[in-house]
Amino acid sequence: MKKILSILLSFVVVISFISCGKSNTSNVSKVDKKGSLTVAIWDNNQLKGLQQIANEWGEKSGYDVEFEVFDWSTYWTMLEAGVSGGEMPDIFWMHSSYAQMYMDSNVLLNLNSEIAKDDAIDIANYYPGISNLYSNKDGHYAIPKDHDTIAVVYNKSIFDKYGIAYPTKAWTWEDFASIAQEITDKGKTDGVYGAYLDCGNNQSGWYNIIYAFGGEVINDDHTKSGMDNPNTIKAMNFVKDKILPACPSQDSMANTAGDTMLISNKLGMYIDGSWMVNSYYSLDNIDDLAWVELPWEDVNNNNICDEGERVSIYNGLGWSIYEGTENSDAAWSLTSALTSKEGQIKQSELGVTMSGYVGLSDQWASSFEGIDLSAYTDIENDGTLIFRPYSKYAGRWEDYFTEAFIPAWNGSASMTDTCKSIATYMNGLLDSENE
Amino acid sequence: MQKMRTLKSKTEAKWGLILIAPTIIGLLILNFYPIISTIYLSLCKTGDFGIGNKFIGYDNYITLFQDKEVFHSLINTFKYTIIEVPFSIVISLILASLLNHNIFGRTSYRTIYFLPMICAPAAVAMVWRWMFNQDFGLLNMIFRSNVAWVTDPNIAWICVAIVGVWSSIGYNMVLLIGALQDIPRDYYEAATIDGASAIKSFFHITIPMLLPMLFFIILTGVIGALQLFDLPYMIINRSSRAFSDVQTITYLFYTYSFEHSNRGYGATIVIFMLLIIGIITYGIQKLEKKWCSV
Repeated sequence: MKKILSILLSFVVVISFISCGKSNTSNVSKVDKKGSLTVAIWDNNQLKGLQQIANEWGEKSGYDVEFEVFDWSTYWTMLEAGVSGGEMPDIFWMHSSYAQMYMDSNVLLNLNSEIAKDDAIDIANYYPGISNLYSNKDGHYAIPKDHDTIAVVYNKSIFDKYGIAYPTKAWTWEDFASIAQEITDKGKTDGVYGAYLDCGNNQSGWYNIIYAFGGEVINDDHTKSGMDNPNTIKAMNFVKDKILPACPSQDSMANTAGDTMLISNKLGMYIDGSWMVNSYYSLDNIDDLAWVELPWEDVNNNNICDEGERVSIYNGLGWSIYEGTENSDAAWSLTSALTSKEGQIKQSELGVTMSGYVGLSDQWASSFEGIDLSAYTDIENDGTLIFRPYSKYAGRWEDYFTEAFIPAWNGSASMTDTCKSIATYMNGLLDSENE
Repeated sequence: MQKMRTLKSKTEAKWGLILIAPTIIGLLILNFYPIISTIYLSLCKTGDFGIGNKFIGYDNYITLFQDKEVFHSLINTFKYTIIEVPFSIVISLILASLLNHNIFGRTSYRTIYFLPMICAPAAVAMVWRWMFNQDFGLLNMIFRSNVAWVTDPNIAWICVAIVGVWSSIGYNMVLLIGALQDIPRDYYEAATIDGASAIKSFFHITIPMLLPMLFFIILTGVIGALQLFDLPYMIINRSSRAFSDVQTITYLFYTYSFEHSNRGYGATIVIFMLLIIGIITYGIQKLEKKWCSV
């Protein structure tokens, strides 16, 4: 009896080891194979939609398309191992944090000649910030795949509880601050706050405020810091004087994340990116949440929202082809199918991201039933999109921001002085990147 | 006269070599070669993907010795080690002695104390992080306090050490129970006849007989504590004002190598740690030779 039990148990254990540990590969389309292509991505949510588009292409072209999904950090380790002499996927996603590194190391196929030959792809149709990110003086190395924007998500039940009108897109950053303060004052006994902005909330936070005030985080060349720009300092002091008093203490924010507080009815408003909508959508209290466009800042005091006064930071992925791929024509053909107008429309309808092709985001907004996400798409017309500040090794100064701003956030150092010393340090990092 | 090697002993030797060859080859390829390679990397300004490594000699080391953050992290690591190792050993020693007697439910107690070892460190860290949460955490709820567990620079490193002690008690306890059972009963009987109390026999019989095992636990505990990364990484947020007072040197290495893509400097930090751990290990082993003169 004991022997049978132990054999059965070992069998179960071995089976469970075999079944977990395989990366997510999908069904390969069965067509008379001219060859096969491997595509690597890191978002399982998008796999189904992309596989569908790829299979349709595969039927026409006679190629198999095999997708491999990794999690974020494994993905980059896999690519790096591949570059140093292993197996590389034919087509893969590229991201702003790594783009320059990959472009400089001759890993990506230069796409200029393919773009010129292909009528379906015209670089002008894509968001310029994204196509610029994935290109250098030698040409284009990735075709924009999608983009994301930032908006304010607010908890309607909190607004109802304290009798405050819902925000509209006409609001300025001063309105945002005063609404937040009102909620914090009324919610004192319940431990409810109006806003949440920690030093680490950069892309979905104070970067947007800096640019709305006319400042910048880094110059257009990505060679000099913009943190000592007078408008930047003005924006950060606005954050310090008007927004932070309505937020939880810096200690509290270092303990608990903003989206956790929002969905636990402890927070009135939170600034978040369009890529997070999926995680809110699956919640029980999704009906309590609503989205509104980011506020604007009347920089020139004319009571009109002018160009550059309403800003959302945006970012976007790109599709890249491996420089050493054996099937460059087929790889380009598939990339073209994914990034052409039709492909982008299909991606928006099926997937969870807004397209990299300008003007096709409405499909994404309507793919979530029951909630209004126009805040993420309308800002492209109502406001200005600024590409997420980057340099070759942006990770170095982004980490530094989070740590260096802590004293300014909790009041033990002056915001102006902190911005200036951050700029000095950042310039040092940028100089060493460019030497 | 030289003893002639018999055919049998030659065959034995040959088979011995063949059987340990896989491990030796694995050690050489997976341990020794990477160490040499890392030492070389630490002498370079690394390019991306290992392309374009520029040999710069000792520059990284010069930067390292002037880097305040490195020494701050080193002190944080030492602070953690000095708290975690002794507390873990004392508590597990007491538990092991208590659980060595035939009390009711002994097996279930041993299982319960060993459970933390089988939990994934990341899961352990996440749960403890929520318990330490200042506004909504369990600890502040129970004590009705508002202690800034993970954001107060004076307390945060102690909290990480608490989690470290909690995780390692079970493992140390099991090792010590094994060692305790090896102590012959005669000593205790002789001591009882001579009129020694329980405390006296604990300090004069148990501890001296356990010294070899204790030294092993101290050595592995110290090495593990000096290499700590997962607990501060998961428990302390980078925006916490205690961050720079908890960041361990391995965490700093991770930041440089993977978040800053500065593998050369990361390698330098690692080699520096290798030397420090090497010196400390040598010191502990010298002490062991002196005190466990068995």
